[in-house]
Amino acid sequence: MARAHRVALTAFIITVAYFLTLFDFLSVPLLDAAYAEQLLPVLPWWFLVSFGSYCLWSIGLGLVTLRECPEAYDELVGEIAEAKNELRTRGVTVD
Amino acid sequence: MNPFESNVSRNMQGSFNSPDTHKYSVILPTYNERKNLPVIIWLLAKTFNENNLSWEVIVVDDNSPDGTQEVALQLAKVYGEDKIILKPRAGKLGLGTAYIHGLSFVNGDFVIIMDADFSHHPKFIPQFIRLQKAHNLDIVTGTRYRATSKPASSDARPGGVHGWDFKRKLVSRGANFLADTVLNPGVSDLTGSFRLYRLPVLRHIITETVSKGYVFQMEMMVRARALGYTVGEVPITFVDRIFGDSKLGANEIVSYAKGIWVLFTTV
Ligand SMILES: Nc1nc2c(ncn2[C@@H]2O[C@H](COP(=O)(O)OP(=O)(O)OP(=O)(O)O)[C@@H](O)[C@H]2O)c(=O)[nH]1
Ligand SMILES: [Mg+2]
Repeated sequence: MARAHRVALTAFIITVAYFLTLFDFLSVPLLDAAYAEQLLPVLPWWFLVSFGSYCLWSIGLGLVTLRECPEAYDELVGEIAEAKNELRTRGVTVD
Repeated sequence: MNPFESNVSRNMQGSFNSPDTHKYSVILPTYNERKNLPVIIWLLAKTFNENNLSWEVIVVDDNSPDGTQEVALQLAKVYGEDKIILKPRAGKLGLGTAYIHGLSFVNGDFVIIMDADFSHHPKFIPQFIRLQKAHNLDIVTGTRYRATSKPASSDARPGGVHGWDFKRKLVSRGANFLADTVLNPGVSDLTGSFRLYRLPVLRHIITETVSKGYVFQMEMMVRARALGYTVGEVPITFVDRIFGDSKLGANEIVSYAKGIWVLFTTV
């Protein structure tokens, strides 16, 4: 079973459970029926918005925490010069 | 505090001063890397010799028009033909098959895969090896996006990038986030290709891998996880290529997204 199948299966079970509750075939445990009636219709939208903010937040955080490493560049430039000098004396074509 | 998380115990693992009996084979695919190849080989030789490791480099050159192969042969004279092994191919056949080609000439028991354009600095290889030994890992991969290694070790320094503009950062972050969300591979840097593999593990994974381009590196990690291999991560600094051209266009992005979809529906 590929990951797509597992995800599809989970999504299917959740959707079925959601509609069964929405149309009163199942009841929400630990929650007053009056509240549940108000909550259930907006639940998918809440989920969508949450997921959207999660995506933006993750990518934004990734961008902010992506470190710049100028010191690695400086070190590398020095090493390139050193390598070229040594290799030139040993008969390798470097330019 | 957990005593196994103290620096003393971390340093103890995998860093005894006993000789390393393994041989590390670097597969270095090149295409028009005449300027970069001598320097990268010099850096590799320096790193391996300073750490008393036995090594070889397999250069897989796809008949580069700029004369990369002549330089490789000169380097083989300097460092020894058992160390620098040139295994060219007749034409530009792509990166994925370059690794497979290189693999058939490997004499070591660990394989390091890296780019020849200095974006992957050999100075991190000893850290890869220490982490591999400390936790008996199958694969160790370099990551630009972490500050610590996974599992933790005390000698890891934060990773990072140099020479990327905002767009490149955004694309890279977006690409990794997408793949991470859809495929959940458990590795923070999927598009990077600086990795240490146990030889049989690499042989196994590469025969199952079907995609090309950027997706290839990602697929290797996704399959490694699906096959149950253990993967560690070491933060690396990534300096964008100094010599030669870089290519990252809309085409790459579209084929990357398609690649994620294919992996999602098949692995
Ligand atoms: N043998 C072989 N090597 C290749 C081929 N394409 C790329 N390479 C090498 O693979 C490594 C990575 O290629 P790069 O061109 O640096 O790809 P990249 O790192 O994804 O992109 P940039 O560095 O941004 O250009 C380099 O060492 C190249 O020389 C190929 O078709 N055949
Ligand atoms: Mg590169």
